[in-house]
Amino acid sequence: MQLTLEIHPIENIQFGDSTRLQGTTLFVDADDLRRLLLEDTSLIGVEFDIAQPGESCRAGPVFDIIEPRAKGPDSSPDFPGILGPPHTAGFGTTHVLEGAAVTMLREKSPGDSRGATGYVLEMSGAPAAGSRYGSLHHLIIIPHTKPELPDHAQQKAYRLAGLRAAVYLGRAAFNHSPPSSVTFDAIDPPAKDRDGLPRVAYVGQIFSRQRKPELDEQILYGIGTDGMLPVPLHPDEWLDGAVLPSYHTSLGGAETYFYQNHPVITELYRRHQGRELNFAGTVATIASANNFDRERNCRFASNLVRSVLKADAAILTKFGGGVPHTDLSETARLLETVGIKTAVQVTDLARDHKVESALLFNFSEVDAIVCVGGNSTSWRVARAERVIAASPELKEVLTGPLEMESLNVIGVANQQGASRLRAMVY
Amino acid sequence: MRIVHYLNQFFAGVGGEESAGMPLDSLKGAVGPGRLFEQLLGDDAKVLLTLVCGDNYAVENQEEMVAAAVQRIREVKADLVIAGPCFQAGRYGMAAGALCAAVQSQLSIPVVTAMSEENPGTDLYREMIYIVDSGTNAAKMRDVAVMMMNLAQKLVDKIPLGLPKEDGYFRRGFIRDRFVEQTAGQRLVDMVMAKVKGEPFESEMVPTTFSPVRMPPGVKDLSQAKFLLITDGGLVPKGNPDKIQGSAATRWGSYNIEACDNLKGEDYEISHGGYDPQFVRQDPDRLVPLDVMRELERAGAIGEVYEEFLSTSGLANPLSNTRRMGREMAEKAKQLGIDAVILTST
Amino acid sequence: MQITSALPIAKMVGANRLVLGNGIVHVVGDANLSVEQEKEVRRQLVQKALKALQADNTAA
Repeated sequence: MQLTLEIHPIENIQFGDSTRLQGTTLFVDADDLRRLLLEDTSLIGVEFDIAQPGESCRAGPVFDIIEPRAKGPDSSPDFPGILGPPHTAGFGTTHVLEGAAVTMLREKSPGDSRGATGYVLEMSGAPAAGSRYGSLHHLIIIPHTKPELPDHAQQKAYRLAGLRAAVYLGRAAFNHSPPSSVTFDAIDPPAKDRDGLPRVAYVGQIFSRQRKPELDEQILYGIGTDGMLPVPLHPDEWLDGAVLPSYHTSLGGAETYFYQNHPVITELYRRHQGRELNFAGTVATIASANNFDRERNCRFASNLVRSVLKADAAILTKFGGGVPHTDLSETARLLETVGIKTAVQVTDLARDHKVESALLFNFSEVDAIVCVGGNSTSWRVARAERVIAASPELKEVLTGPLEMESLNVIGVANQQGASRLRAMVY
Repeated sequence: MRIVHYLNQFFAGVGGEESAGMPLDSLKGAVGPGRLFEQLLGDDAKVLLTLVCGDNYAVENQEEMVAAAVQRIREVKADLVIAGPCFQAGRYGMAAGALCAAVQSQLSIPVVTAMSEENPGTDLYREMIYIVDSGTNAAKMRDVAVMMMNLAQKLVDKIPLGLPKEDGYFRRGFIRDRFVEQTAGQRLVDMVMAKVKGEPFESEMVPTTFSPVRMPPGVKDLSQAKFLLITDGGLVPKGNPDKIQGSAATRWGSYNIEACDNLKGEDYEISHGGYDPQFVRQDPDRLVPLDVMRELERAGAIGEVYEEFLSTSGLANPLSNTRRMGREMAEKAKQLGIDAVILTST
Repeated sequence: MQITSALPIAKMVGANRLVLGNGIVHVVGDANLSVEQEKEVRRQLVQKALKALQADNTAA
């Protein structure tokens, strides 16, 4: 069985008396959705708002952004291991509300390296143009959790509410025939007539053990990466809810939305369809907390690429901050030593805007580097007409005018391959 | 636009190798390539002064030559200093680079020079100043002059420069962001495919090569040695008295541990945003091993542990910061007569 | 000398006299052990560090 994405384009979201899809407008019955979300007793209330592209509107701090999607009957579960049983993702039909987003807010600023504002969704001006999220129609969820709830439980409540809302909205597409649908050419086994095309794999870090995952943190089929070894995944598993980002925005640059629309995976699929290459498959891995784990993980990952995926080339991306450069580059180096060509994506680490501070590795073999910028881009943003936040204090912080670092605008310096902000060397 | 131009004896038409010993001289108006510069920049551009110096003299007396030249440039209130182009002439390149770097830092006016990639002046000064890639062929004088003047005009008008490739200069090693058409994902696939096909590709970032740190001789007698403990794990006394930043820290602190047998969690906090601090918060000896050091001190295995430990936060910290802090810490250790340092890093 | 859990980075910048620490979150500790066992781990790491400090030309 294969994955079919039924694509329903969304050009407007409105509140209505029932949740339904009408043409390209998604109507949301706020009361009905609230009832569903409040089944989780960690939440004592939820509010909803809508943000449209081009509006003078700012929302934050953002916990996650999710594309509304729902699995059809006789398909793999929605977000297996989290909302459903931990069965393999990527089978059957997925209804996709393309152009829409569920944007889950936090109640307080994470106060980590993303500063006082946390991640901000910006709907107009240059910051919005720099992020895919600026062009989406957002249903924004403002959560209110039970007082005294520990951090991890609060964040779990945000995670579950966001995913549930995304599935709930996606189900509005049931019984609608989609204007278009997507199925990808099977990658395994490759058709006979595809012999000779280079086999290209993707190796993606999905967490960095610089931090211990929170209690209950659900990253891969519901597990938090404790004891995890690199694991081969079918590309459709990434696209269909197997992998979720961390609760920690300090390990930022990843949202559920860009797992569902993974920029590297969809690009490899596109070229696979175009017969430029054979998509060999993927490996999900983690950045390690110590050298011992690093050596094991990097060797596992490179062996999987070589012996299981039998790839000729691989693309590697990192998760989180500086130390994951080490795991990324070591894996790439190991691949290169067995003749597998690599390209890696890093984020610019140079706060002093100097090349010498940009990378944490120097291997002559690891010579194809895509570098996401962010350190030298910020915007003076005007007062927003509408600010969506969970508290009056946060609203005040976000109202503006204020200086907005690109690293704080969600989507701009994305680490999943979606960023168009490039660090250029002058 | 008031311009001062620096030339060696050869390009100034004074003479060849036999004149390489001539000291710095200044001529009124444009000489040689200077006329071309005036032409290219248009009517309001005037080369007021042409400084000429012999290649050997310039290299052998670099400091005096540069000081005298900077003085002349200051006197005529120049808006722009041009040196060369030097092509592959090594001594010329070294002199032009030194002069331009000095003018830029002392007078804060734009400077432009040009050299070939192999010119030792390029290697030495490319990070400090804009050096146009002149290639090695002096017959291309006009093309090189066009690139130099294009760059000069932008610098004088304070127009942001294009990329090294676009504006013809050697990469200085600065990073600036730019929004590009393709996503990083598309660029990754392009790059790996180029590599697979053996086609040329351009990495978006270049690694930095570090020279190994010279290893001082070993400590001969530990029982007489004075130890200093340092950490970059962000351990600071409660309240973070020196306000050491948790990311890209610009400061470090030294904290008294004289009366302590070990470090207590309740006295400290962690200012470091890059790792999970709960374990060190419980017991800071997990980061700064004071308890064990005290044991060794009592047993006479080591001489003494200095009464303070030094601390900063090593997260997302540019080299310009960390080099300075490292130097400062090393100076302190030297002053204190420290024999050995144990530095713990997360 | 440096005790670090990010060995490749220390090597990259040319540091010498390196000892591998016991993880980023507790370089000279181990939260999974009893207090006494943990102290023994720390003792051993410090002993290794002392050895490295005495050496004249090789990293430990």
